[in-house]
Amino acid sequence: MSSASAVAVDFWKDEKTRKMWDDIVPGAPRRTVPYVLTREAIQAYCRSVGDLHPLYMDEAYAKASPFGGLIAPPSIHILLMFACTPMDDWMRSPGTVNAGQSWSYNVPARPGDTIRMDARALDKFIRKDRLFVIHDNVFFNQNDDVICSGRGWTIRPM
Amino acid sequence: MTEILERQSFESLAIGDTITGAPFHPTRETIRDFCEASLDYNPLHWDDDYMKGSFGKTSFGGIIMHGMTNFGILTKMLTDWLYPMGGVHRRLETRWKAPVKPGDAIVPTGTVTAKKETAKSRWAVIAVEIKNQHGATIAQGEAMAEFPPAR
Repeated sequence: MSSASAVAVDFWKDEKTRKMWDDIVPGAPRRTVPYVLTREAIQAYCRSVGDLHPLYMDEAYAKASPFGGLIAPPSIHILLMFACTPMDDWMRSPGTVNAGQSWSYNVPARPGDTIRMDARALDKFIRKDRLFVIHDNVFFNQNDDVICSGRGWTIRPM
Repeated sequence: MTEILERQSFESLAIGDTITGAPFHPTRETIRDFCEASLDYNPLHWDDDYMKGSFGKTSFGGIIMHGMTNFGILTKMLTDWLYPMGGVHRRLETRWKAPVKPGDAIVPTGTVTAKKETAKSRWAVIAVEIKNQHGATIAQGEAMAEFPPAR
């Protein structure tokens, strides 16, 4: 696991090259990277939120269920968002504050899936002296099935 | 208002039915685990020195839990409720109302607010909320579940 110093280096690295609120163009696609979702990553996420449902944790249970095998919980997009986001993307700017999100779910993600994210800013505005950006993300599996789609509000660091 | 313990179905759901999820007790360690599991190492969640300052017109006075942890525990509440009914979690919308800090205790709840039959399926709308140990609202939002009709 990462040490505190490695985390600090990682997170502030590329800070100067990231887009500020001023630079973000609503509608422009963000560069993203594909991500192979593993059972280990799913289960580490599940443990971190205390969600140990056997559909995510118990292969025999999941295989006998209507899903026919292990799945990830719907909220796995929390991991997928950063997993598919390059280090120089503005979503990683230190001090980014998440103000709310909405997500729609289609098919579950599964261990072994290769996940693709389509992402962009949709809108930016100033409210109550704060700088906001609205972004949208859509996650697909290797068969181009939509896993989920979401929209979020962030307050940008000034 | 009745806490639902018995097996439910779309037919048995009533407006006003309530759901209570598992309490969650964030600590510096659970927040750290979430950083590693979500790859979200925003210094808001681990850097004490950074959090002494203010930024974006916001000041928190210490590290805070990831807002998306609320999203994860609301999702657990909904899926634990839906899977036994054959229900499908289709949507969750949340707004964060207040930060959560290490040592807090938070509990998610839901209330069925609407049922709707459409051309091809059946749906329920659930108002969701998370409160802390002081009764303050941490997160608020709305979920939607699908109950596909039997073939």
